[in-house]
Amino acid sequence: MARVRLEHVTKRYDDQGDVVTAVDDMNLDIAHGEFICFVGPSGCGKSTTMETIAGLTIPTEGQVFIGDRDVTNLPPKDRGIAMVFQNIALFPHMDVYDNISFGLRLRDYPQDEIDRRVERAADIVQLEGMLERMPEEMSGGQRQRVAIARAIVREPDVFLMDEPLANLDAKLKVHMRTELQRLHKELDTTIIYVTHDQEEAMTLSDRIAVLDSGSLQQIDPPLTCYNEPDNLFVAGFIGSPSMNFVEGTVTEDALETPNFSLQFDPSSIEGISVGDSVTLGIRPEDIYPADLRDEVADPSGIIQARTDILEPMGDEIFAYLLLGDGETSMSQEMATNDQLLMSIDPDSDIEEEDEVGVVIDRRNVHLFDSASGEAIVHDLRPVGTDSSASGSEVETDD
Amino acid sequence: MATTTEDQSSDGPLQRWTQSAIKNPEKVYRALFYAAMIFFLVTTLFPFYWLVVLAVTPEGNLLAGSFLPTVNLFGVSGTFPLPVPKGFNPGAFINVFQEVPFHLYMLNSFALAITTTVIVLFVASLAGYVFGRLRFPGRALLMLAILAISYFPPAAFVIPLFQAFAGNAPITIPFTNIPLFTPPRLLNTPGSMVLPFSALFMPLSIFILTTFYGQIPDGLEDAARVEGTTRLGALFRVIMPLSAPGVATASVLTFIAVYNEYFFSSIMATSPEATKWSPIVGGILSYQTQYTTQYNLMAAASIIGVLPVVILVVVAQERIVSGLTSGALKE
Repeated sequence: MARVRLEHVTKRYDDQGDVVTAVDDMNLDIAHGEFICFVGPSGCGKSTTMETIAGLTIPTEGQVFIGDRDVTNLPPKDRGIAMVFQNIALFPHMDVYDNISFGLRLRDYPQDEIDRRVERAADIVQLEGMLERMPEEMSGGQRQRVAIARAIVREPDVFLMDEPLANLDAKLKVHMRTELQRLHKELDTTIIYVTHDQEEAMTLSDRIAVLDSGSLQQIDPPLTCYNEPDNLFVAGFIGSPSMNFVEGTVTEDALETPNFSLQFDPSSIEGISVGDSVTLGIRPEDIYPADLRDEVADPSGIIQARTDILEPMGDEIFAYLLLGDGETSMSQEMATNDQLLMSIDPDSDIEEEDEVGVVIDRRNVHLFDSASGEAIVHDLRPVGTDSSASGSEVETDD
Repeated sequence: MATTTEDQSSDGPLQRWTQSAIKNPEKVYRALFYAAMIFFLVTTLFPFYWLVVLAVTPEGNLLAGSFLPTVNLFGVSGTFPLPVPKGFNPGAFINVFQEVPFHLYMLNSFALAITTTVIVLFVASLAGYVFGRLRFPGRALLMLAILAISYFPPAAFVIPLFQAFAGNAPITIPFTNIPLFTPPRLLNTPGSMVLPFSALFMPLSIFILTTFYGQIPDGLEDAARVEGTTRLGALFRVIMPLSAPGVATASVLTFIAVYNEYFFSSIMATSPEATKWSPIVGGILSYQTQYTTQYNLMAAASIIGVLPVVILVVVAQERIVSGLTSGALKE
């Protein structure tokens, strides 16, 4: 059983006198057979974390366990892992067969065993009949499949994949994504997958580990990360386009933001009190035009806005709404107080520079502590109301 | 007023040529290129031609008369400017092996060159890996120190090395009389030659291999290590094969340098005998005895001795050229 555990793993680099902390006290427990994605922006420490699991980097502090073994100081070859690299890293001086069998030959497997395994691996990734080609004669997708075959042929306990699809074109990426999922089903091995693409992480993984500045922000199933982000960073990172953030202050019965107020009962929600500075988060798909107000489960009051830019995507239109006097300003790193992005129906006859009224679904309003960024609540209805009963519940605002 | 065209047509040939050269500078560059190339070809090839002339001239004719024949053309006699053989005696190329065991001298040179090349490649690969792929403080300074070795004239090392290899007295700590150990007697053995050759030719190879090994992407080494090699295994299984042009360059340069070496080996082999590991040059000089000098045999031996290197360079030249330049050009 290949359970992977990281305990207090910290990696610091000495960069010309400055100490850079790439990974900061990382604790992870990955179950056998799990498909887990490390996701985060560039430089968040996800690749370094993976390298400590692979053994290519020795952590400054902390321990790495694979199965029951403490592998912290073991060389990569003794860890029972296989890795697929971002730049594919096929050995250019070897043909496909030699590339795939490299690890087996190093371990002195008998020739017929090697042949059998290479054939099976080539079969899984659909590379039959290409074993004699050199890597330079193959397309990007084929090379990627060779790299994956090279990893699965050794039947490792853990697969590590460092942005394996990053260098492929969009169409191939989607195709390889489904192949990877199929592969995971077939092999029943632990897969640890690094990506900066939150969409890839959402579609592939059993759980997503969101990293930022070397520390773990949240590790949860994709939909939990999406619907109940632990903090502002996760909320902003997961989901495309990103969540809208508006800063506001809690009053007796509402949340006052610079351009609108949202009625709710602060006393019914734990961890919030009058006068608190909070950041409101709302996803584009939870904002509706005012004429659909009756179809929204728990609509807010109507917010007046003006459409700025429309981005038709085919299946939906992204509309940038300007609030207040229409001057967009960045008040904080993430919050755009005067702008909202909403997703609307493609048949909608909305146009640029229209005056529109919108409502937001209070069931899906997230509140974050402005100072710490921690999530306070993911549903503005009073505690105890069940989401399944939400359809019958109608509240009026204003 | 005369127009420009009239001016030009009235100019002499030199002016016309200058005009066209200004318009077409490539013409001049090409002419200069050919001039320089012919110069180098003549200066490098003429000695070979001269060797051939000497080798096929029968021994008796060597010192009699001029190699520049007198030509008599329609009553006007003059000296032909190129030396030609006085007679034809290809037997010299066989005689070479009969008078002196020249093949043994060649074997010595081969053995010394191959051993040195293997040692140099192995050690320089390790050093090249460290300098090219690892970051550590003092790296540039250490590299400079290693390169500095090759700046010393080899003669500076001869006397201490000869003393050490003679194995007569123990090595002492400098400036004291405290003995450290008595080295084995290495004179007249390959050890006394391979050791200094390796040390002297190492810096160049380290430099070449450092450039090459530094360019192999980290991902490939990581992949090899994950697949099951150690760092050293990755060096010899992945990094080195991928740096083939650099490895070929370093090995050919080392091989040729050792194959042609005479200074150290003439001293470390106490007499020019094949059994004492004297190299090719020692063999060639053996045709010179106290009373006679068989120039034709020396010339023939020189030609035979140089052939392996010529073949090596012809076979490997593409690799060497790409090796010497790509180090600087690859990004």
